[in-house]
Amino acid sequence: MFGRRRKQEKWILLAPAILVLALITLIPLANTFWLSFTDTRISAIPSPVRFIGLENYIYALTDPEFREALYRTLYFTIVSVGLEGILGVAVAVLLNQKFRGHLILRALIILPWAVPTIVNAVAWRLIYHPDYGALNSLLFQLGLISDYRSWIGDPATAMNMVILADVWKNFPLVAYVALAALQTVPADLNKAAAIEGAGPWKRFWSITLPWIMGPLMVVMVLRTIEAFRVFDIIYVMTGGGPADSTKTASFYVYQEYFNYLRSGSGASYAVLVAGISAVLILFYYSSAKRQATGATA
Amino acid sequence: MRRTMLQSVFLYSCVVALALFTIAPLLWLVTMSISAPTDLTEVPLRWIPSEFDFSRYGALLNIDGGSGERFLSALRNSILTAGGATVIALMLAIPAAYSFSRRGASMVLLFAFLATIMMPPITYILPLYSTFSAFGMLNKTTTLIIVYTAMLLPFATWLMKANIDVLPVEVEQAAFMEGASTSYTIRTVVLPLALPAIAATAMLSFLVAWDEFFYALIFTNDLSAKTLPVAIADFSAGRVTDYGVIASVGVMATLPPAILAICFQKFIVSGLVAGSVKG
Amino acid sequence: MPENQILSVESLQKTYGDVHVLKDINVAMEPGEFLVLVGPSGCGKSTLLSCISGLTEVSSGTIRIAGRDCTHMEPANRDIAMVFQSYALFPNMSVERNIGFGLEVRKVAEAEKKAKVSEVADLLKIEHLLQRRPAELSGGQRQRVAMGRALVRDPKLFLFDEPLSNLDAKLRVTMRTEIKRIHQATGASIVYVTHDQIEAMTLATRIVVMKDGVVQQIGTPHEIYNKPVNAFVADFMGAPSMNLMKGKATPEEGHIRLEIPTPQGRSVSLIDRKTPSQSFRNGPQDVLIGLRPEAMTDQKLSNGSALQSAECLLEVVEPAGADTYAVIHLGETEAIARLSADAPVQAGEMSSITFDLSKVSYFDISSGNRL
Repeated sequence: MFGRRRKQEKWILLAPAILVLALITLIPLANTFWLSFTDTRISAIPSPVRFIGLENYIYALTDPEFREALYRTLYFTIVSVGLEGILGVAVAVLLNQKFRGHLILRALIILPWAVPTIVNAVAWRLIYHPDYGALNSLLFQLGLISDYRSWIGDPATAMNMVILADVWKNFPLVAYVALAALQTVPADLNKAAAIEGAGPWKRFWSITLPWIMGPLMVVMVLRTIEAFRVFDIIYVMTGGGPADSTKTASFYVYQEYFNYLRSGSGASYAVLVAGISAVLILFYYSSAKRQATGATA
Repeated sequence: MRRTMLQSVFLYSCVVALALFTIAPLLWLVTMSISAPTDLTEVPLRWIPSEFDFSRYGALLNIDGGSGERFLSALRNSILTAGGATVIALMLAIPAAYSFSRRGASMVLLFAFLATIMMPPITYILPLYSTFSAFGMLNKTTTLIIVYTAMLLPFATWLMKANIDVLPVEVEQAAFMEGASTSYTIRTVVLPLALPAIAATAMLSFLVAWDEFFYALIFTNDLSAKTLPVAIADFSAGRVTDYGVIASVGVMATLPPAILAICFQKFIVSGLVAGSVKG
Repeated sequence: MPENQILSVESLQKTYGDVHVLKDINVAMEPGEFLVLVGPSGCGKSTLLSCISGLTEVSSGTIRIAGRDCTHMEPANRDIAMVFQSYALFPNMSVERNIGFGLEVRKVAEAEKKAKVSEVADLLKIEHLLQRRPAELSGGQRQRVAMGRALVRDPKLFLFDEPLSNLDAKLRVTMRTEIKRIHQATGASIVYVTHDQIEAMTLATRIVVMKDGVVQQIGTPHEIYNKPVNAFVADFMGAPSMNLMKGKATPEEGHIRLEIPTPQGRSVSLIDRKTPSQSFRNGPQDVLIGLRPEAMTDQKLSNGSALQSAECLLEVVEPAGADTYAVIHLGETEAIARLSADAPVQAGEMSSITFDLSKVSYFDISSGNRL
């Protein structure tokens, strides 16, 4: 394939994809960036756009509610991804054992992943229902609680309950990645360590975990990026409440746009959230790249 | 290695615990959907329904009923939107993937592609909303298809690229030597070889689009375009007194992805693992 | 002159970044020739073939095929066909469509295509396989289909990229014969890459020996075998390879006297009854003395005047069926002598070895070039 034609073809083949992505993502991104320096509002009557420099940003950075929302997002992200990681690895280790029905269980694990996010949120909302929820009933019948609780109506527990629902849906992904990595651990390595006298626990920490760490890191960072923009589950389960206790950054921006109709100010929040995401994305690439080069070495 | 009794007990307790944790919520959702309405409001709950009541499913599948109309039109919109976006995204992704794999298109560009879907949708939503609104394109299935195409494209390109990478390049070279053009080679040689990969990519893309909520929430507002996730959120937010109805809608929306996931597990899991790990 | 050449490569260079893969390659080829590019892996032979095919772009230089400058032409326009190492058959197509693919692309009429495909299938004895898929074929059958795909278009030039290296040893010999038969039947012009010097010797009308991106020698198998231009070619071509023994050559009146040291302390002394060439003008010098194993034997050879005998210590004796090989420590190397199968010799014994100096080669001890 010759220089010039090769080059032409390269761009011809890419052109439709680039066009779509530019229209739907790149241009809106630039537009959001521009809006963040204006005082635009969403209204039926077009009003003149006024450039107000960094005013939105100064406000956003000093806005305690936004900072709260960021902290909540961070809490949600760290706890749910952390739990998904621990649960995922534990499940993978379990599924990597041979026991009766291990293939069935391995197949079953995909179900939570297949449940649509919104259905997951709705289902858990029903389970957490303060009067007729399955969780209350179960814990009550087991004697673990004496009174029904309002799991997601109580600011103290709401976020953790949302996290539990999110972990239930997303641990299979981590588990599958960890399992795939586990299956590449050479059996000889473990046997050698066992002969050297290392117990199962020691073997897990010094052989298995380091071996699967690369892929595990990559999927965890990917989950972090997804968790950081959490919106759907919050929208359905709690609507950001109670008392803003589950209002995350994405939800905050959403409200700024579509409840308060302040598009300029909303855009500045969006840009800040996007900036944090960008850092996470760069982190993802560096870990994925390390994984890719490590895998070929 | 032989397991001791204690180890076996521990292992199987873990297995049972995991199985319960995994399926109990789903089982309960199904149970709710077929329990009598009065069973669902007992305190404490009645776990086994007093009678099996499938009437909610009947209502959902009846186009003339209120909830049936809402559900069926949402189902239709979801199928059209997810299906349409999957087809278009693949049609754009395959040539792009070929360019990345065989025509030396820069990996930095592919990373840029992927970065666009990793960004929170709130970054794009407002300008998109204004533009679609200005062109009178809100509340249209077509609009969602366009947006979903962009959403599916990077991942589909990425997966297809990884799959084309491992095809034997000599087969394509042989086609070029025989005088075939690039597009003829892609159609007659590459596509047939990549068929399993295309199927896997299509399935994953479809599931992602099926699951999407945020754009659909913002861009649609009535039966003509609302997708299942939005309809379900409506059902659940509305003043429904029978929780079984919500549960039955949830079950119905879960069936297609769950069936795909179980039947094509190997495909999907390997796609997922590759998609989240390889750089 | 270039008009009647089927292929001419002039001053070809290929670099990948800092790596200089092909250095000033000049090769020309007449119609009907079977030109084999041979060399160790990494020598650039496959890159050269790839440049000729057009799958790789050259850095500089010219490639002419049948007189046309093809240097910057697409592979499809060069009027060539290629047989790949992995066969590169289209797995999703029947054998018939595989062979006819080039004609399909060129929109040749169905009837004509069918006729040509069956003609080629007949030549390759694969008519009964036409409806099968490549996956249902054996290695040898795939090989034939790959050749069929190349033959059916009747191109000016055929390129073969190590086509036999994926076959087992026995099948390789069969297919080698088959390729030779097809070459003789069709009179096709073939450029053939291999790392196997036996393949090169048996198939080629001319051989190009390459090393490190440089052409070492171009010549008929006979020339390459008997008059290697340097120690590398001498060592690479032939199995077992030519013995390259360090020794002292002293030009004397009408002949050259050779002294080859042995570990036992004394030297084997031989007389090469040839008039010393210009290279030996400067008196005694250390040289590499090249003798093929068959020129060191126990047998009675016919050319009496060039024969010399010497007592040598046989360190290892390896019976190989038709011959027996004996390792002799000579000239700081383990020289191999080829003895008759039933030679009454034993390891560790002294034996009389006959040296046939009519085929001796001399190489400069530092540059390795032929003297």
